[in-house]
Amino acid sequence: MTTKPELRTGANLLPGLVAVALFVVMAAAILRASFGDPQGFAADAPITASIGYAMFNLDMGAVPGESFLVAFEIIDAVLVAALVAAVMLARREESGDMVALLADGGREVRDRLREGDDPHSSDAPEQGGER
Amino acid sequence: MVPVQWYLLLAAAVFCIGLFGILTRKNALLFLMSVELMLNAANINLVAFSAYWGNVTGQTFSLFTMALAAAEVAVGIGIILVLYRNFEDVDVTAATEMRW
Repeated sequence: MTTKPELRTGANLLPGLVAVALFVVMAAAILRASFGDPQGFAADAPITASIGYAMFNLDMGAVPGESFLVAFEIIDAVLVAALVAAVMLARREESGDMVALLADGGREVRDRLREGDDPHSSDAPEQGGER
Repeated sequence: MVPVQWYLLLAAAVFCIGLFGILTRKNALLFLMSVELMLNAANINLVAFSAYWGNVTGQTFSLFTMALAAAEVAVGIGIILVLYRNFEDVDVTAATEMRW
């Protein structure tokens, strides 16, 4: 018996309609708006070089643009922070276990309390939430 | 020169496809892809208006947006990795609490 792909509706129908309705509203607004006469770049304008100059606050670009050196430095810091965060989230310990405090939300400590390793485990009520 | 309205319509369509993905999907990776679609829709607008007004500010800013999107994806994939380790699934509806 052959099958064919079917459109799943049901729970997806309302969010789909919301997205389509938003598109219709945006399209109506865009098509009714007027934007004035286009300026455009000159045919021989050095656009790539001007982007580089704008990025480093150099006043040498032939095409007008604002300066972005501060934004460049901020993005630099954000990228480094994201890189470090991603490595910390993804790394494993040398034994091959996950990094407990970051990755298991304290589950390892809870398990140890259950097993009775901790002297306070007998009278300590269970703190960890169930799934 | 292509009228700027067509670029804006394209951006609106891409944005709404991303919104549709966010509203309907449960897979965290598809979530991330949908957010990327929405970010790229904003980039299309920036570049379109940059060409329209003959000013490189929009194109430069879109480069920064792409860098921010890269940072967001790095952290997002790290979070999805932790989600998978703890729930053995990447269904975002499985993680309903900040602890487990």
